[in-house]
Amino acid sequence: MTGHHRCAKKALRYNSQSLRREEMDILVCLKQVPDTEADIRPTSDMTAIDYTGVKFIVNVYDEYAVEEALRVREKVGGKVTIVSLGPDRAVEAIRTALAMGADEAVHLNDPALLDGDAYTTARALAKAIEGMSYDLIFCGKQAIDDDLAQVGSILGELLGLQTVTGIMKFELVDDGKKARVHRQVEGGMDVLEVPLPAIFTATKGLNEPRYPSLPGIMKAKKKPLKTVSLGDLGLSEEEVGAKGALTKVVRYSLPPMRQAGTIIEGETPEEKASKLAKALREEVKVI
Amino acid sequence: MEATRELFWNIGRQGLLTYLIMGIAVLILAYSLYERVSLWRRGQAEDRWDRVGERIKGVVVNIIGHWRVLREAYPGFMHLLIFWGFLLLLIGAALDAFDHYSGLHFLKGTAYLTFSFFLDLAGLAVIVGLLLALWRRYVTRPRALDNRPEDLFVLLLLLALVVTGFLVEGARIAVQAPRAPWERWSFFGWALGTSLFPQGQGSLLWHKVFWWIHLSLSFLFVAVIVQSKLLHILTAILSTFFRNLKPQAIKPIEDMEEAETFGVNRVEELSWVDLMQLDACTRCGRCQENCPAYLTDKPLNPKMVIQGIREVFQEQSKGLLQRMRSWGVEEQQPSTEEGKALAGELIEEDAIWSCTTCGACIEQCPVFVEPFPKLIEIRRYLALMESRFPSEVQVAFRNMENNSNPWGIGMHTRADWAKELGIKTLAEDREVEYLFYVGCAGSFDDLNKKVAEAVAKLLEAAGVSFGILGVEEGCCGDSARRLGNEYLFQIIAQQNIETMKGYGVRKIVTMCPHCYNTLKNEYPQFGGDFEVYHYTELFSSLVAQGRLRPSKPLDIEVTYHDSCYLGRYNGLYEEPRGILRALLGVKLVEMPRSRSRSFCCGGGGGRFWMEEHLGTRINHARFEDVQRAGARMVVTSCPFCLTMMSDAIKEKGMEEKHEARDLAQVLREAVGV
Amino acid sequence: MKDGAVKKVAYEILGAAKKMAEQKGEPLCAVMIGKDVEGLAPGLGAYGAEKVYVIQGDSFARYTTGAFTKALCDLVKQEQPSILLFGASINGKDLSARASGRLGVGLATDCTEIGLDEAGNLKVKRPMFAGKVYAEVVFSDRKPQMASVRPNVLGLPEADESRKAEVVKVDVQVGPDDIGLEVVDFVEVGGGKIDLTEAEIIVSGGRGMKGAENFKILEELAEVLGGVVGASRAAVDAGWRPQSDQVGQSGKVVSPNLYIACGISGAIQHLAGMGTSKVIVAINKDPEAPIFKKADYGVVDDLFKVVPALTEEVRKLKAQS
Repeated sequence: MTGHHRCAKKALRYNSQSLRREEMDILVCLKQVPDTEADIRPTSDMTAIDYTGVKFIVNVYDEYAVEEALRVREKVGGKVTIVSLGPDRAVEAIRTALAMGADEAVHLNDPALLDGDAYTTARALAKAIEGMSYDLIFCGKQAIDDDLAQVGSILGELLGLQTVTGIMKFELVDDGKKARVHRQVEGGMDVLEVPLPAIFTATKGLNEPRYPSLPGIMKAKKKPLKTVSLGDLGLSEEEVGAKGALTKVVRYSLPPMRQAGTIIEGETPEEKASKLAKALREEVKVI
Repeated sequence: MEATRELFWNIGRQGLLTYLIMGIAVLILAYSLYERVSLWRRGQAEDRWDRVGERIKGVVVNIIGHWRVLREAYPGFMHLLIFWGFLLLLIGAALDAFDHYSGLHFLKGTAYLTFSFFLDLAGLAVIVGLLLALWRRYVTRPRALDNRPEDLFVLLLLLALVVTGFLVEGARIAVQAPRAPWERWSFFGWALGTSLFPQGQGSLLWHKVFWWIHLSLSFLFVAVIVQSKLLHILTAILSTFFRNLKPQAIKPIEDMEEAETFGVNRVEELSWVDLMQLDACTRCGRCQENCPAYLTDKPLNPKMVIQGIREVFQEQSKGLLQRMRSWGVEEQQPSTEEGKALAGELIEEDAIWSCTTCGACIEQCPVFVEPFPKLIEIRRYLALMESRFPSEVQVAFRNMENNSNPWGIGMHTRADWAKELGIKTLAEDREVEYLFYVGCAGSFDDLNKKVAEAVAKLLEAAGVSFGILGVEEGCCGDSARRLGNEYLFQIIAQQNIETMKGYGVRKIVTMCPHCYNTLKNEYPQFGGDFEVYHYTELFSSLVAQGRLRPSKPLDIEVTYHDSCYLGRYNGLYEEPRGILRALLGVKLVEMPRSRSRSFCCGGGGGRFWMEEHLGTRINHARFEDVQRAGARMVVTSCPFCLTMMSDAIKEKGMEEKHEARDLAQVLREAVGV
Repeated sequence: MKDGAVKKVAYEILGAAKKMAEQKGEPLCAVMIGKDVEGLAPGLGAYGAEKVYVIQGDSFARYTTGAFTKALCDLVKQEQPSILLFGASINGKDLSARASGRLGVGLATDCTEIGLDEAGNLKVKRPMFAGKVYAEVVFSDRKPQMASVRPNVLGLPEADESRKAEVVKVDVQVGPDDIGLEVVDFVEVGGGKIDLTEAEIIVSGGRGMKGAENFKILEELAEVLGGVVGASRAAVDAGWRPQSDQVGQSGKVVSPNLYIACGISGAIQHLAGMGTSKVIVAINKDPEAPIFKKADYGVVDDLFKVVPALTEEVRKLKAQS
């Protein structure tokens, strides 16, 4: 939106108390994760992951969140702020989201915040978000590195907001006071109406994330990116990161060796089919 | 009476008006040209002044020699007649004037007779040519041509001009004949004169009448050159002179960090050369008739791309021309009315993405117009400014960004194909002569890994010292650039160049023509100057030297499919054929559309990564060429071509009758390694 | 005490949890929350549950995070279990995450192994990075230690029909403030079918299918497996299946537990679309087809014979369980 247009909208915002203002402050929680194709290996002592040479990207599900936030802003105006907890390298992922069109970002970057779990992450994010103004929060359903799918829910609990997980469709209704969403469940989708503010975690199918345009990439370099440390959050070391985590990974291992292509032998197709069915049930337990 | 012709005979002093009238015509021409050039100069800068000698040679060969025009026999010959005929007539008129005003008077006697004879011949040639043209355009009506009123106007004008010229001559001869029997040498004029006109003084009036008509038509001719199709007389020379001497390389976007806009969406964002080319196009339709997209019913038509842009250019120019003509100060700021958007509005997006960049349009154009680079510029606009492209393209971009290959397969597996083969990486041993730049297909695609293996085995067998980059190799970036993502391309290219320079790479051999073209012709744009070879170049010379001995007879009948990027782009037609001919038991049949006329497999221009929803399949169309040639095996030397041909065979259920193989595989089998 | 939200995985969890409960010397209990569920409760005894807490009411007719979390957490605060387990279904994951936030305890999602360490604390193993690595996870002292368990992994225990669980009805009040939203509708997706991208089992057909009608045998196999039918680009291009069924780089990227590729050669673009499937089965009469290199199980035979036979076999196996 041009500056001129934005001012007009703001005027509308402060003029009427009774009418719910249209413009929204939207937050998106974002995580930088290794690329889906990356070669993930534990370190030799198996207690950590070796990230050398690994390419990092914006968590796939968080992209849907960013995209949906941008679409809401395109409809009603407002501001999209990225909130991300991560080390220095996470700035790249944040800039990607800014290049897509987000307006500002808050980067929780402090060594004490690292190596925590979903709870400590949610706690740190909640502290940061408490001090911000928001009407709507989007997250990704899960991070593709830890695959935990917890932060959105815990964050909601800590902020006192409803969290609806796994949405595939989102629209604002009731003058922006509520959201009507389709939540993915087995066999179909629940249609829910949720009063705002609330948190929504995005899953695949919600939208097609845009590819950042080159002017977008260039502008992103100049957009405001605030770095927040532990002290700024007002939390102690024991509450966050490795010290505050409620779960901990003590050891990593590689998945059971995939039998590189067993060709099922047999005299007849029926015999092979039988052996295959048995293997699928007993060996790999997929049926 | 001596054989000669008197200047302004029967016209007298009024004849001097010729100079005034033609002078005015020339002034009109000059001013129109000035306007036109000013319009072209609204375009962006582009330097086409290099290698002037070569450029001039091109003009001589193509304009005078009609080299490209003659590629198609009928229209080529027809135009040759018109062009040469007319040129001779002009030279004749000039000689005539010179003869008179210089006081030399050498056009007499035999000299004059010869002169007059050839001029008659020339005039006749023009008439024949024009009739052939009229027949072709209005009777045969080939699909390549679209007919507009101006086409008829120009043909008729020229016809009228030459015919009236003959009528003038005829009338004169009718008067002079009794005392000038040598006029027979002006055979056509004589024929007309003795048959159409009353003999003797009765034709004096006719002569005057036709003379003035002829002069008026000449005036009209010169005056409307810029306004009509006749402009191509001048612009063809210009577009040939300013042709792209390196069409293989797409020009980079300079200063990407600083630029505000990228790509082209408005006419004024094109360069002055592009704009000038719009005026050189004569709508001959050869680009269209050789375009694989057009021929398979895609919405893309390269002729209409040029003509469409030209129309927008004309529209937008109106305002500017008005201001210029009002004798006011030329406008400093650009017009405030927004011109038509080229992407989507003028040219539909499906058409823009249908191009395979095969280069047939550029190759075929007699006046060196370049249709497809404009599409790339528009793709740049769509990709970089608006992120508007087919969704499969986004997947390909992301994959190139994250895993350095458009398939998105884990980049750490790039060297897996070479694992069992004991090939060293440059990291292990950099003291090798060649870097074997494998490319993404050879590294990740099962079908093409076999080709990579074949190339490696052959290099070993020939005792060539080489190494690979292994996981340090990145995608060459060809697809990114062709799809308009210049930003991604430059990042990829610069990274690769840095890696290669780090290892002190000097010579590179590739297996993929796209990699070959990019590394050889485009990497120098970013400081990457290497000696790049395609394996066909290397192997053909190794075979010739006897370092590779294809001793095993193969007993196959093959046809060779020229890859666009190897053939048209880089002229490597004979090297692969040389290899095939050196093999025992290999019978090579050629498809009619081969070498520079080769028909694209459909994979280039980033199209390999896209779905083909519209029209019919390009690869199927090409495979039909293979079938018609009667060869069982189609041999290619490009991973895209190999995949597209294999797919076509499978899709048509022809696996029993045909197969597609890469030349390296065939050679490997013949050498027995 | 343990919990299960979905039927079969609940049995699986009970089976594994029984050993843990015995080890710890604590009772193994189940929690059921729903509208009219108490009838199902005693049956859990067959799999090892001693007690089943039943929380019933209209508020629990459909799953909502708010209602179920309140119910569960109230119960937990009351009964103070040391360990709380869930099935990692869609709602199981949702509920467990919210509950962990409310209770302030550690939660491990989607575990493939559950057990105890020497001190009697919960210790689990779970996949990370889409299954590329497995992690052993331990918990802080805060109770209950929570985990959700991936269905179909632990295996069903033997059922002892003679054992019945004690049913304890628990009264929990849930108000609109607890729920905080409104369920207004339910939309069935794809005629009851799941979207390819989220399907657990996909039976896919390629050029080898030779015609649209022939996909019927794949549909039958998919049905009996509880999966959906996909297609390779060849089949879609030939017009046999719609574009929405296409699996591949320029179609849909899928990652099911089981991917059965029938008459698919395995071109690189197809593999890019299903390469992260947990188990890949290839059925193709061409032994050279590249897909065999990527498949965990390959059958080199006529798919028109193998697929119907496989359907039969699966039908038999499922009837047994």
